[in-house]
Amino acid sequence: MGTQGGREATSAENFCPCDDDIEKWMAKAFDMAREALENGEVPVGCLMVYNDEVVGKGRNEVNETKNATRHAEMVALDQLLDWCHRSKQDVQSVCEQSALYVTVEPCIMCAAALRLLNVPVVVFGCRNERFGGCGSVLDVSSADLPQTGATFKCVSGHRAEEAVEMLKSFYKQENPNGDSSFLLSLFFCLPILHHLFLSQDLAAIFKRSCPLAPLTKSHQTWYPGSLEGVHFPLGPFKSAILDFELICIMTI
Amino acid sequence: MEPQPKRLKGSQFATDAWVAYPVLSEEQSQEVELMEAFAVPIVNKKETSRLVRELNSLYPLNDLQHLKRVRACKEKGSPHPLEVLVCLVSEAPHMKLLSLHSLLPSGDVRHDGLGDPFVVRVPARPPLTRPQFELASKHWPTSFHEDKQVTVALRGELFSSPQKAAMHMYMMSAIAAAKAGGEMGMEVVGAVVVNPETQTVIAMGHDCRGDHPLHHAVIVCIDLVARSQGGGFYSFDRYPACRFTSEASDTLENVADAERRSQPYICTGYDLYVTREPCVMCAMALLHSRIGRVFYGTTSADGALGTKFKIHSQRDLNHRFEVYKGVLSNQCENLMRSGDNIQRLQEHS
Repeated sequence: MGTQGGREATSAENFCPCDDDIEKWMAKAFDMAREALENGEVPVGCLMVYNDEVVGKGRNEVNETKNATRHAEMVALDQLLDWCHRSKQDVQSVCEQSALYVTVEPCIMCAAALRLLNVPVVVFGCRNERFGGCGSVLDVSSADLPQTGATFKCVSGHRAEEAVEMLKSFYKQENPNGDSSFLLSLFFCLPILHHLFLSQDLAAIFKRSCPLAPLTKSHQTWYPGSLEGVHFPLGPFKSAILDFELICIMTI
Repeated sequence: MEPQPKRLKGSQFATDAWVAYPVLSEEQSQEVELMEAFAVPIVNKKETSRLVRELNSLYPLNDLQHLKRVRACKEKGSPHPLEVLVCLVSEAPHMKLLSLHSLLPSGDVRHDGLGDPFVVRVPARPPLTRPQFELASKHWPTSFHEDKQVTVALRGELFSSPQKAAMHMYMMSAIAAAKAGGEMGMEVVGAVVVNPETQTVIAMGHDCRGDHPLHHAVIVCIDLVARSQGGGFYSFDRYPACRFTSEASDTLENVADAERRSQPYICTGYDLYVTREPCVMCAMALLHSRIGRVFYGTTSADGALGTKFKIHSQRDLNHRFEVYKGVLSNQCENLMRSGDNIQRLQEHS
């Protein structure tokens, strides 16, 4: 198991879970993730542990609340706060002695929330290349943000492959209809078609409508620089091609 | 002794007192990066097109398409009329003695009409904004595909007077919410979510972190928007200044509404007005909610939409949005100062 990010040992020195703790609580987090996957939900399991007790347990609640901030970590943090109120404990001192165990690297928002509450340790499974706030996209955990709580220590890589596999199989079942693979292949050809026929910047359209980061990336790499400036005036077909692109972007 | 009531500086609708400037991406706002390159004077103008042709096949400017190959010597009394770019210094690293022969093997490029080579500094990347273009062009002529909107926005002239009046009004609501929160002992920060198409306020809220450490004004507003669409998780009913309106209730069911509901993200196309720059958590929460545009009054030390990060234009993230700062900047700054005063008073008492 890789223990990266031990750079900020000072703040977490007095509090760091041992390997047995990590094993135990991560097993629980993975059980939660698997359960979520079996119920067709985002397979992320997440626990807040204080004093060898689970004080917060979260799963993604974005769809039912229509609130895009209801990530598993935010739900677990809310439960921790409720637990503090119920058991009349001081929020600050509980947070400073708690660890978060989660199967996937927390996103930038959740990482900032953990900092604001001064949670000192976060143990996670696989990296989150799309939103990760513990080094993958930004490193909020160690950034110089004096007004955003305390930096925290990350222990990463615990059963990472398993966490990735669960996410993969979730996103596979998300897209069950066969048409999408056809559309997907069309989609990858679009930047080239577009560049050949239209002078308008597709990137601007992608930025607004494309919900998937990997596609945006591939679009960038698909732009052949040598075609720059090649322009065939197509008149009435122009809007038809644009519409078609938008339909494809929306459908996938 | 009773404190003097605060007087608003200027009139309430003095939209001339502030300017909204865009918060551009890192790439758009960074300094012009320069690279060293070899150039040669063209003494005989008539050789130019042949030289360019031969140089293009010997040293194609693959990653430097933004650079013009030839520049005119503008200074009067220059011994030669033109100068031509040969290649980057990094492309010819084994040059011990800089000479025309070592740079241009005579089999590939005939030396007719060329002077002695020299080193120039050229812009490494295509300019993205007019200020970058103007700086870059001082070093070597550069092509520029201008985004007119960015140019106008950088001049602070993007918004018309009626638009500014509306922005003024929305930010005043955010300030009012902030003050209401402040009176309840919260940090003096307020926010308003607006649908710019229908010009309706969807939600307004203020900081509630006195009761929940993560309930910053933006987080409160996002949940209120969710509630306006039949979702939401928290109840902010005990805060009279945290409110939402359901759009469907006062507008007729039309195609646009139906489309909007079918969209998976709650803030798509909406504008947020917030008195100070959002923190990392709030900025990313706005990104997750697919906010359309963010307007803030004043910057904050750990702000994530310009100060510490530029989450709205961060590479690798899957949504980008426009950010403008400076809306009612004076009033918003005063708000923060008054917040500091209240805190100090509370600490003393």
